[in-house]
Amino acid sequence: MSELSAEEIAKRERDSAIPFVDLRDGARGVLTWAQMDGDDLADAAIELIGEATRIAQHLDEDSRTIYTVIIGRKTSQFTDKLIHHGADVVYVIEDERLTDYLTLPFTNAMVSAIREIKPEIALMSASTLGRDLAPRIAGILDLGLSADCTSFEVGLYVNRRKNQKFEKAFKMVRPSFGESKLATIVGPWCYPQMATARPGVFKPLDIDTSRTGKVIEFKPEWESKDFDVELIESVRNPSTIDLSKADIMVAGGFGMGKDGFGLLRELVDAINDNGQKAEIGASRAAVDAGFVDYAYQIGQTGKTVRPSIYVAIGISGAIQHLAGMKESSKIFAVNNDHKASIFKNADYGLVMDYQEAIPELIKQVKAGYKFPLDK
Amino acid sequence: MSELKYPKLDLNIYVLIKQVPMPKAMKTTAEGLMDRTGKSMMNPHCSHALEEAISLKDKVGGTVTALSMGPPNAKQSLMEALRRGADRAYLLSDRKLAGSDTWSTAEALSKTIEHISNGDALDVLFAGLQTIDGDTAHVGPQCSARLELNQVTYVESVDIFDDKTLKVRRIIESGYQILKVPLPVMLSVSHTANVPRGPSLNSSMSALNKEIIMYNIGEVGLPETSAGMTGSPTVVSRVKNVVHDRGAIVLFTEGSTEERVSNLLTALKEETS
Ligand SMILES: Cc1cc2nc3c(=O)[nH]c(=O)nc-3n(C[C@H](O)[C@H](O)[C@H](O)COP(=O)(O)OP(=O)(O)OC[C@H]3O[C@@H](n4cnc5c(N)ncnc54)[C@H](O)[C@@H]3O)c2cc1C
Ligand SMILES: Nc1ncnc2c1ncn2[C@@H]1O[C@H](COP(=O)(O)O)[C@@H](O)[C@H]1O
Repeated sequence: MSELSAEEIAKRERDSAIPFVDLRDGARGVLTWAQMDGDDLADAAIELIGEATRIAQHLDEDSRTIYTVIIGRKTSQFTDKLIHHGADVVYVIEDERLTDYLTLPFTNAMVSAIREIKPEIALMSASTLGRDLAPRIAGILDLGLSADCTSFEVGLYVNRRKNQKFEKAFKMVRPSFGESKLATIVGPWCYPQMATARPGVFKPLDIDTSRTGKVIEFKPEWESKDFDVELIESVRNPSTIDLSKADIMVAGGFGMGKDGFGLLRELVDAINDNGQKAEIGASRAAVDAGFVDYAYQIGQTGKTVRPSIYVAIGISGAIQHLAGMKESSKIFAVNNDHKASIFKNADYGLVMDYQEAIPELIKQVKAGYKFPLDK
Repeated sequence: MSELKYPKLDLNIYVLIKQVPMPKAMKTTAEGLMDRTGKSMMNPHCSHALEEAISLKDKVGGTVTALSMGPPNAKQSLMEALRRGADRAYLLSDRKLAGSDTWSTAEALSKTIEHISNGDALDVLFAGLQTIDGDTAHVGPQCSARLELNQVTYVESVDIFDDKTLKVRRIIESGYQILKVPLPVMLSVSHTANVPRGPSLNSSMSALNKEIIMYNIGEVGLPETSAGMTGSPTVVSRVKNVVHDRGAIVLFTEGSTEERVSNLLTALKEETS
């Protein structure tokens, strides 16, 4: 393309004089945390192994082993699955008391495993559990940590201030400033270079049942205070219904109230009677208020859907809700507050009370209106 | 009769408050750091953390100490905290702190807490779930690791279990956990936990007589090697803008309800066909 500016040439010359450094001090391989949700393996567990494998290809040859740590009550049943999805060495930590995630025992287990394995990179899921665990580990081991990453690279990094050049620095890319910017974070001074990775973003490897690996039963030294915090109740809603089959999703929020959800149901029924596949969706606030079951929750801690049409009614448009529906082909919002942020993330909008909008929608659907679908 | 429900515990409560740029004023400097010279406000999650701190104090008694690290104008948010009912406020402010990542922010805040409490054990440390400029949700847990506190993040409700334990509800994927947590503990509070109160007349009056105590890093015993860019294990190497591919919204504002709804439905159909 265009010729380099004098300034750019001078900068490159200066950079070429900066010496390469390698501060890894024996740290090798990529470690992942295989998250459990209760007694089930979370999808994030195999997503991370997939990404770790892709990252490892760009590291030195002696640093491509994928170590996966799994912690919980019934973990050994999952070792084959982890290996078939790309793990080379699985550290299994099994204890009857670990019925669910608890900060301190999980931190102790991970810290012990990291000290033993000494990886170059460590990855955890940016779930509500991973974002509890990772910073606690970073605080104890004095590590850098990058939150909620959506892509990773390995490559040259020049730090002019410190006069250092790294050949294979881990570059952790994350949305910041309310998703408006992408920041690249590096920290090739402390090992492992650690990050949490947003669930659902990274692809697992195809399963290969012929893959073999090593399983290590690992026993951290529990401290009595590790179990000071007691789990009284843990509610995880089993995903019994499949929202992904609906072409039209009609979602209600806190602004709908319990009665509003009755109207919403009528609208969904009318669309279905008209020969199109519709289903109810909801915000977390609506679920928490008891208007509808958790199974219908859309968003970061609910389901991710991509229907042809997403109708958001009485939903403010919080980032955690958007996370679950922003890939929908067309988004149509009804809200009586014109400042609601859902309007910044929709294609069509009505600034209107739901009590006016829904009956009218029902009427038009009953009169034969069909929503345009992708396929 | 709600006052009778709770024992008097006199808790030593801290709350971490960060002052952040207003979303519209968010810019980065040439070096990729946050420009903190524009209009700013109390980080929204911190406001929910403060609310939780004050309502806990209202239930069982104690003191609420608000603490911030940032430029001198962060006093604004601390003053706001006093007007809402915090008892004392401290600001750690030092040029050498510029460029701190979450590890060194937590190191600095923890050192300051140790300095202020001076042996008078902390019971509950509240933090916001995350900030709107950093979005990391790290600083709370990193402080709790440094100070060896129990830890619950994504907190939605806080209640008293008995005089040494709290009952805390936290968000998890597809549901929630309820935990019985012994003191001392760090709780990072979600915006879904409460609706923050405004300033009260009483607190605003007494805030007038209060001073926000300022420290530099030397005074709290934070070595220069742990502070700011020098002490941070990570740096931002690059920042770029995200481009959104969804176009501007079309609003239907003209006509009767019936017309507006049907215009929308027609437009939807025409565009996609
Ligand atoms: C870790 C974490 C995970 C989360 N996960 C999720 C998730 O998976 N999914 C999710 O949805 N949220 C999630 N949240 C919560 C999220 O941040 C918001 O709090 C939530 O989405 C708000 O729901 P809402 O829009 O229904 O309620 P509100 O924010 O209360 O909004 C209600 C809206 O209804 C409008 N309204 C009121 N009355 C009417 C009327 N008569 N007619 C029309 N409009 C009306 C109001 O103007 C307002 O915009 C999560 C939060 C955290 C911290
Ligand atoms: N500079 C700071 N001063 C005071 N509290 C902070 C600071 N930075 C972070 N915190 C606290 O840590 C929480 C999480 O911040 P973050 O890790 O930046 O997302 C915030 O909501 C605050 O409670």
